[in-house]
Amino acid sequence: MRRWAHRTHLAGLLLSAVLLACRQAERSPSHQGVVVTDDAGRRVGLAAPAQRVVSLLPSFTELLFAIGAGDRLVGRTAWCDYPPEALRVPSVGDGMPPNVEAVAARHPDLAVLYRSGPNVTAAEQLERLGIKTVLLDLNRLEELGPAARRLGVLTGRVASADSLARAMDSLAAAPPQPLTPGPQSLVFIVWDNPPIVIGAGSYLDRLASLAGARNVFHDIAAPSAQVSIETIAARDPDFVAVLSDSVVPPRYAGRPEWRVVRAVRAGRFLFLPGQLFGRPGPRVAEAVRELRHRLDATP
Amino acid sequence: MKYVLLAAVAVVTLAGAVLLGAAEVPLRDMVASPIVWQLRLPRAVLAFLVGGALGVSGVGLQALVRNPLADPFLLGLSGGAGLGAVVAIAFDLPGPWALPLAAFVGAVGAMALVYRLGLMGGAELDPRILLLGGVAVGAFAGAITTAIVSLAQATELRNAFLWLWGGFSGASWTTVLVMVVYAPLPLAVLAAAARPLDLLALGEEPAQYLGADVRRLKRLVYLAASLLTAAAVAVAGVIGFVGLVVPHVCRLVWGRLHRTLFPTAFLAGGILLVAADTLARTVVAPRELPVGIVTALLGVPVFAFLLRRWTVS
Amino acid sequence: MDRELILALSGVTCRYPGAPRDILQGVSLEVRAGEFHAVLGPNGSGKTTLVRTALGLVRPVEGHADILGRPASAWSRRELARVVGVLPQREDNLFPQRVRETVLLGRYPHLSLLGGMRATDRAAVERALVACDARDLADRWLWTLSGGEYQRIRLARALAQEPRLLVLDEPTASLDLRHEMELFELVRALVDAQGLAVLMITHHVNLAARFADQILILAEGRAVARGAPAAVLTRETVERVFSWPVAIEPFEGRPQMIPLRRHPS
Repeated sequence: MRRWAHRTHLAGLLLSAVLLACRQAERSPSHQGVVVTDDAGRRVGLAAPAQRVVSLLPSFTELLFAIGAGDRLVGRTAWCDYPPEALRVPSVGDGMPPNVEAVAARHPDLAVLYRSGPNVTAAEQLERLGIKTVLLDLNRLEELGPAARRLGVLTGRVASADSLARAMDSLAAAPPQPLTPGPQSLVFIVWDNPPIVIGAGSYLDRLASLAGARNVFHDIAAPSAQVSIETIAARDPDFVAVLSDSVVPPRYAGRPEWRVVRAVRAGRFLFLPGQLFGRPGPRVAEAVRELRHRLDATP
Repeated sequence: MKYVLLAAVAVVTLAGAVLLGAAEVPLRDMVASPIVWQLRLPRAVLAFLVGGALGVSGVGLQALVRNPLADPFLLGLSGGAGLGAVVAIAFDLPGPWALPLAAFVGAVGAMALVYRLGLMGGAELDPRILLLGGVAVGAFAGAITTAIVSLAQATELRNAFLWLWGGFSGASWTTVLVMVVYAPLPLAVLAAAARPLDLLALGEEPAQYLGADVRRLKRLVYLAASLLTAAAVAVAGVIGFVGLVVPHVCRLVWGRLHRTLFPTAFLAGGILLVAADTLARTVVAPRELPVGIVTALLGVPVFAFLLRRWTVS
Repeated sequence: MDRELILALSGVTCRYPGAPRDILQGVSLEVRAGEFHAVLGPNGSGKTTLVRTALGLVRPVEGHADILGRPASAWSRRELARVVGVLPQREDNLFPQRVRETVLLGRYPHLSLLGGMRATDRAAVERALVACDARDLADRWLWTLSGGEYQRIRLARALAQEPRLLVLDEPTASLDLRHEMELFELVRALVDAQGLAVLMITHHVNLAARFADQILILAEGRAVARGAPAAVLTRETVERVFSWPVAIEPFEGRPQMIPLRRHPS
């Protein structure tokens, strides 16, 4: 009887000691607290690296998995379809604009949002519910590296995030590769009526130049612009690139007025899957290689 | 003499539309150039036909509602067309003609609804009810459109609105053929209504006493003008101000008799729209402005000038 | 020799849905060529409805309205406009126009769909302008005309239709003395010279008595009296219909009504 009492007494002392040590650890958060400045100029600080993250952009979902923080993901948008493991994470809606209640229902300690007008409002609402938010830009290649780094800090995966970021940065700094033989020209057609093409301000245009191809509308500074069929025909691109998961020619390809464009007439289409090409993400290098491969493959 | 001048301006404007463009096509190559035959020519012809349709429709509707400040799109047609277009894109309706057809159906639906409102309680297409009904139907269609846009997942909906702002980038010989086959009937109905419409300007009762079958006249003019506008929207989106400004300018130059107004409004509307389209595709080259924006930019100062003259006289 | 019967209303009763009483009850009227008929009565007595029924715009629930022997509703608007010229009370003027243009509108019932103005049409316009003593106004803009001149132009337009019957709804309502007299003289001259039939709604009891051949007095939809002015305009009748004491004095063989003061000084 007495020996048992001794043991419990000892266990109680040990338990208190452990608890005390933990509390002491919590009282000094500087060892484990993380802080970044986001693209809206806000200082985002967490007591500890985020354990439950909701991502509100497919590119962020990809980045989180790429830096090894995919297991922390507790919420994603309906559009987040890569990597396949992401599909096992519950969806919080299409994210445009974010469904604040659905996000809160996942009890996250961090929500990652793309910086846009409606998202700034959603972030404020989430903050009022006590959920930390970070707003990041992700329109261009140059913004991948900084986004990856900050996600790394916030999730405690600094090392892998840094190495990824360095790869992104070097790609962004790389000079455009020339293709042999001679540069290949293309036009990205996003919509046909009215015709909308991609210009220099877009990620797709950047991919093209990294792959050694020339976007015939590189002279338009905007990410996209309305042009006429005649302008496309006049610039005579070698290829028409479309974001499409299938290889069925777009429905305008059969129309006589579109067939004035040589590439449409000859059926020289580049079908680029949206998952890989449609958004900036960690698989940039893969996208560039894929594009270059397809350009080489078509005579 | 003025007619000769008008015809000459029409020829010059059409020629300009065929000669100007992004691609360099030397004069001697023009006859064989696919750019001219498949792109510039059908585009110029379609713009002319649509402009003419809108001009004539504007004349008819201004006479019908006895309000010189009426525009064919006041009667809810643009809201209906927009709803049709958004439905076609949001539900990804199949076929290359899904968008124009849906816009046409939407416009005609709006027309039918306003028509029905205009007959309620024996109102017999009272102009005030038509105008108010048009605003109401347009707002209603707009609300449904906004609901679909906010609920649907298609990111191409933004492009539906670009289409709606008007443009001839989709012009082809097929669309020209559609207009050529479709337009003559409503145009003929309106032309036949020319004299009765002169009488209608005196008021409905005086017009009846001078031999106009006012009830039948109003219904026919409403239907014909709306159908013309619906077709114009289906092939080219919503292009405002043509139907408002062209009748006024023609009235200033040729007087108010509809027998001259209809043909001159057709030519003048065609000229205006071809010129606007040529501007739209050359002013910010290589980019293009939606035509509806060019007609608004051209039309608003002209309209302000006309308004001043009208209030002064 | 009996003059030709242009307009015949017999026992016409009209009812608007939801109205407390019939707007017209059993009214009869016969207008022959060369006759000037005036319709008098207080406001709301059904005068304008009478005109609308006569012209086939309103269908009577009882009785019938015939023009030249045919029911008024059987006439197409175009046919009727070749036989009857009407000056309604109100008219719009949306766009500036010249006198000759507006008088030309009167020829529209005679124009074919594809045909243009012929010499006969232009001649008819000239004759109408001359008959209304308005030839010198032919090239003026409408908005420059005085009220009296404008009414003359409207009359010219109705005459350009070359009608058998002229219907005027209170044509002198806002005219001054001179223009009012001129209009009545003009209408009388047309009746005498061209054998026109005229049906005029007017408030001007005395001028109607001087110029008209027959007077119809309406009160609350009923025909109170019908006949020659001397027979119709008696003190009893006038006082009953217009609810005001009057004296009746003859002038040039016609009765003239003089309203009496309530509290003579």
